Amino acid sequence: MSQTPIPDQTDVTAPDTTLPAPPPVRHAELKAAILLVSMFVLIVGSVLYLMYARGAFEATQVLVLTTDDSDGVGVGADLTFSGFPIGRVQRIELSPDGKARVIIDVPRTDAHWLRTSSIFTLERGIVGGAKLRAYSGILTDPPLPDNATRDLLVGDMAAEIPRMLAAAKDLLNNLGTLTGADSPLDSTLRNVQAVTGKLSGPAGAMGLITGNDKQSQLLIDRANALLLTADQLARRTDGLVANADTRVFGDKGVMTDAQATIVQLNALLADTRNSLKKVDAVLVEAQAVGANAKAATADLGPLRADVESNLRKVEQLVNEINRKWPFKRNPEITLP
Amino acid sequence: MSRSASIIISLRRLNRTTIAWLASWWRLAHFSILIFSLGLSPSSYNRKHRPVLAYRLVTNTAPNLVWFSVACALVSLVLIRIVVVSAQSYGLSRYALEMVVRVLVLELIPLTAALFVALRITLPDGIAFAQMRASGVLDTMQRQGKDLLRSEYFPRVMSGIFAVWMLAIVSCVTSLILAYLTIYGFTPWALQGYTRVVGQIFNPAVALILMLKVIFFSFAVALIPLASSYYQEDAQSRRSRMWAAHGLSEMLRLFTVILLIEVASLMGNYY
Repeated sequence: MSQTPIPDQTDVTAPDTTLPAPPPVRHAELKAAILLVSMFVLIVGSVLYLMYARGAFEATQVLVLTTDDSDGVGVGADLTFSGFPIGRVQRIELSPDGKARVIIDVPRTDAHWLRTSSIFTLERGIVGGAKLRAYSGILTDPPLPDNATRDLLVGDMAAEIPRMLAAAKDLLNNLGTLTGADSPLDSTLRNVQAVTGKLSGPAGAMGLITGNDKQSQLLIDRANALLLTADQLARRTDGLVANADTRVFGDKGVMTDAQATIVQLNALLADTRNSLKKVDAVLVEAQAVGANAKAATADLGPLRADVESNLRKVEQLVNEINRKWPFKRNPEITLP
Repeated sequence: MSRSASIIISLRRLNRTTIAWLASWWRLAHFSILIFSLGLSPSSYNRKHRPVLAYRLVTNTAPNLVWFSVACALVSLVLIRIVVVSAQSYGLSRYALEMVVRVLVLELIPLTAALFVALRITLPDGIAFAQMRASGVLDTMQRQGKDLLRSEYFPRVMSGIFAVWMLAIVSCVTSLILAYLTIYGFTPWALQGYTRVVGQIFNPAVALILMLKVIFFSFAVALIPLASSYYQEDAQSRRSRMWAAHGLSEMLRLFTVILLIEVASLMGNYY
C-alpha cells in the first residue's frame, strides 16, 4: 500500500509533473526564514516572560508559615503587604506534628517589609481563594531572617457563618419562646388587657385599685362618711373662730385690755423722757465743772513759775547776806 | 434461513467496516511515521528541497496569519470587553483578567487556530489529493517514479504544522496585549500586577499542557487530511466512496481527534 520514496526525483517545478504549478513567490526562502525567526523570537520571548512572571530571575528568601488548616491556599498564591504582593506560595506540605507548612518565596527586594514582629493572617472570603496578608507594625524592628517560621492567624469568614446561623437560631428560639402562647410576655399583655378593661368598666380606676366592685363601693361609702365628718368639723371650727373673735376683739376682750395697757405704757414713756431731760441738764453742768477744773489746772503752771522765781530771788538774797555778813567764812584754802 | 443469512451479511459488513476503520488508522499512523522520519532527517532540508518547503511555508502561513490575526484580535477584543464588563457588574473585576487569559489564550485561540488552518489549508489540500488519487493522477506520478511523499506531502504537512504554531502564538500574544490594554488602558504602571497574574495562571503544568495541546493540534490538522490520499485504495472501495464523502470522513476524523485533544487538555488543566 505504501509508496517507496525516490529521493532523486523530487521537484515540484519539474516540467513532467502533472500537478498544477503553483504561482511563484519572490524571495520565498527569505520570507520563510523571517517567519521562522519570528516564531522563534515569539516562543523564546513568551517563555522568558513567563519565567520572569513566575519569579525565576529573582533572588528570594524563604518564609515558612504554619497553620492548622491551609484550606484555600494554593501554590502560586500571593502574600500581600498593604495590598501589594511581596511573596508567592512555593509549596504546601504537612509537618510531622500534623500542621500545614506554607512555604513562601519572598524576593529579597521586598523582604525588608517583613520584620521580626510581623504577623501573618489567612483570610478566607466567600468569593475567591484564601488571602495571605502580612502586617508589620514596627518597621524599625530587625528584618525577618531567612527560613523564618511564623504562625499563621486564620480569619475565616466562611467558618463564621455556621456560628452566626447558630446564634440566629438561638435568637429566633428565644423570640419564639418570648412570643409563645404561655410566655411571660403574653401573660403580661393579657394582664394589661384586663387592666384596661377594668379602667373602662363601671368601677373605673377605683375598681382597678380595690380589686373588685364591692370593695370599691365600700371605699366610696367610707370616703363619703369621711367627707361628712370633715364638714361637721369645719362647722365646729367656724363656731370656735366666732368665740375667739368675741373673746379677743369684744368689749371686754383681750384687745381692749391690751389697748389700755398701751396707753399706760405711753404715759410711762413720757415720764421717762422728762427724767432723761433732767439727767441731760445735770450732765451739762458736770461738763461746766469739768471745764472750770481744766482752766484751774491751766493756771497752776504760771503759779509754779512765779513760786520758783521767788525762791531763786530769796536764795540770791540769802547768798548776798552771807557775803556781806561778818561771819563770813573765807573761802580760800591755805596750803601747808 | 433468511434471518441467519441477514445476520451473516451484517456481520460481514461489520467485519469489513471494522477492518477498513482499523486500516485507515493504521495508514494514518504509517503516514505519520514516514513524515516524522523525513522531518528528522537533515536531507529533507537540504538545498534541493528547501525551495519547495519555503514556498509552502510562506504560502500557507503568511496570508492566513494576517487575516486570522485581525479576526482573532477583533473577536478577542469583544470577548475581553464582555468578560470585563460582566465581571465589573458583579464586583469581580479582579478575576476578569484571569478569566480572559484562561478562556482566550488557553482554550479558544489554539482551538480556533487549528480549525482555521484545517479548513483553509489542509482539508482542501487533502480533498484535492483525494481527487487526484481518484482520477489516477497520483498513481501515474508514482509510476513515473515521483517521490510524492518528499515533494508534495512533506512540505504541506510541515507548513500545516508551522501555520498552526505561528497562528496560535501570534494570536495568544496579541490577546494578552489586548487584555492588558482593555483592562488597564495605555499605562505601564499596571504591568507588574498583570505580569504577576499571568505568572500565577501559567504555572508549569498549564504551560506544558498548552504547549502539548498546540503541538498535537498541529499534528492532527496537518496529518489526518492528507494521510488517506497517500495510499492507493482498491477499486471497490474507490467506487463506493464519493470524493466529497472522502473529505467529509477526513473532516469528521480530524474534528474527533481535535475534540479528544481538547478534552484531554481540559482534564489536565482543571482536574
